Amino acid sequence: MGYAINYEQVFPYLPYLIGGAWLSLQIAFLAFVGGAVLGLLGAFALSFGGPLLRGVTRAYVTFFTNTPQLVQIYFLFFALPEAGVLLSSQQAVLLGMTLNAGAYLTEIQRAGFSSVRAAEMEAAEVLGFTRLQQVRYVVLPHIARTLFPPLSNHYILMTLGTSMAAIFGVEELTGRALNVNSETFRSIEVFTMTAGLYILVTLVANVVLALAGRWLFRARMRLL
Amino acid sequence: MRHVELADVTAAYGRTRVLDGVSFGVDRGQIVSLIGPSGSGKSTILRVLTGLLKPQAGQVRVGGEPVDFADRRRLRAMRARFAVVFQQFNLFQNMTALDNVSIAPIKVGGRPRREVEAEGAALLARVGLGGKLKAYPDELSGGQQQRVAIARALALRPEVLLLDEVTASLDPELVSEVLDTIRDLAAEGMTMLIVSHEMGFVRELSSKVVFMADGRVVEDGPPARIFDAPQERRTRDFVSKILRH
Ligand SMILES: Nc1ncnc2c1ncn2[C@@H]1O[C@H](COP(=O)(O)OP(=O)(O)O)[C@@H](O)[C@H]1O
Ligand SMILES: [Mg+2]
Repeated sequence: MGYAINYEQVFPYLPYLIGGAWLSLQIAFLAFVGGAVLGLLGAFALSFGGPLLRGVTRAYVTFFTNTPQLVQIYFLFFALPEAGVLLSSQQAVLLGMTLNAGAYLTEIQRAGFSSVRAAEMEAAEVLGFTRLQQVRYVVLPHIARTLFPPLSNHYILMTLGTSMAAIFGVEELTGRALNVNSETFRSIEVFTMTAGLYILVTLVANVVLALAGRWLFRARMRLL
Repeated sequence: MRHVELADVTAAYGRTRVLDGVSFGVDRGQIVSLIGPSGSGKSTILRVLTGLLKPQAGQVRVGGEPVDFADRRRLRAMRARFAVVFQQFNLFQNMTALDNVSIAPIKVGGRPRREVEAEGAALLARVGLGGKLKAYPDELSGGQQQRVAIARALALRPEVLLLDEVTASLDPELVSEVLDTIRDLAAEGMTMLIVSHEMGFVRELSSKVVFMADGRVVEDGPPARIFDAPQERRTRDFVSKILRH
């Protein structure tokens, strides 16, 4: 019995860790928004593009959904400087996560596009809706409702995925936890606290997203 | 003058010809029923009348005026005179029953929301759904959804109501309720074109029955003649088969 649990030494680092969690959230959010836009373009390309555009998009999606994200970021981190593009570690992580998210969100959003019911479109048509009204009152609400839950899930996954930024020396939550650990050697305390912060961040995101989904889009989402 | 008239209408899905020179008319205030075996083109006629399918040849006349299927705006104006209830319930899943009923009169008809919603609530009450104004389609049974669809069609105040096997997927105890609603509309003088397999109902209510097979009108006439003294062998076979049920 060599290890006595003692949080006293680690508690003073809590604000420092919270600062790291805030950075994690920012990285996840930026990469998610960038990925969602990329994914929207990708979904459009796959749904409505010509053969070339579809082929390129398909290749992009296949590459990024079939290789580890870590490898993708390593690649950006080490390969881009060779091409004369210098990225800070944080930029490399952000770019890698955005490209990765873009691939997954292409798939998710394309599924949303193709789920619009033809019968509903016909009903709108015979009720006299213009094309614009059909999009506004039938297509978009449907897509939003269908897509919100899987997009939310992906966002949560991305929040947790930011921890890999630590490998590249980014001082987000995991990076800072490693720093505290090497100063205090209180590994169990440091990492339980870190895990607690991750849980807090994802739980809050879950509840907020589920409430938003339910109220805005009548999406079927569980609160917890 | 005929309220609605099809003259030698031919229509196809891709290369498959589905209507092959169909002609018949509906007078103002009349109830015309389309009967015939499955796949004979009854639903397709309604799709042509609502502008969802452009005929390859022939003419559709509404109030004596030929419909121009190439002109989207005029097609919409023509559409406003019809309302259709399809066999499958195609309600807007993201809207409550009341919103389903109200949205077109508000957004397409440009009528004031309060007035439309009051009328929509009354229409829903009339089809037995006064307590379901705020329910979403996925919270309603098939029969209830179909009655919302009927209320939605009526909210357009159409000149002609097109009903495509509206009772086909209803629970038996709800069929009579929906048929009663249609009877009320008939008593009010609504012009209707009905596709139905409820032969008793068709016979009781119709001014004219049109029997179709293979995309053609085989025979049409008053219900007494079609059911009791059909002239064509195909009509006789169909009628005797379906009445034996
Ligand atoms: N969207 C479609 N695409 C291709 N063929 C269709 C389509 N809808 C109906 N059909 C075909 O057209 C024919 C007539 O169909 P329909 O008008 O629905 O018949 P009914 O309503 O009398 O049962 C059928 O042979 C059917 O298979
Ligand atoms: Mg049919």
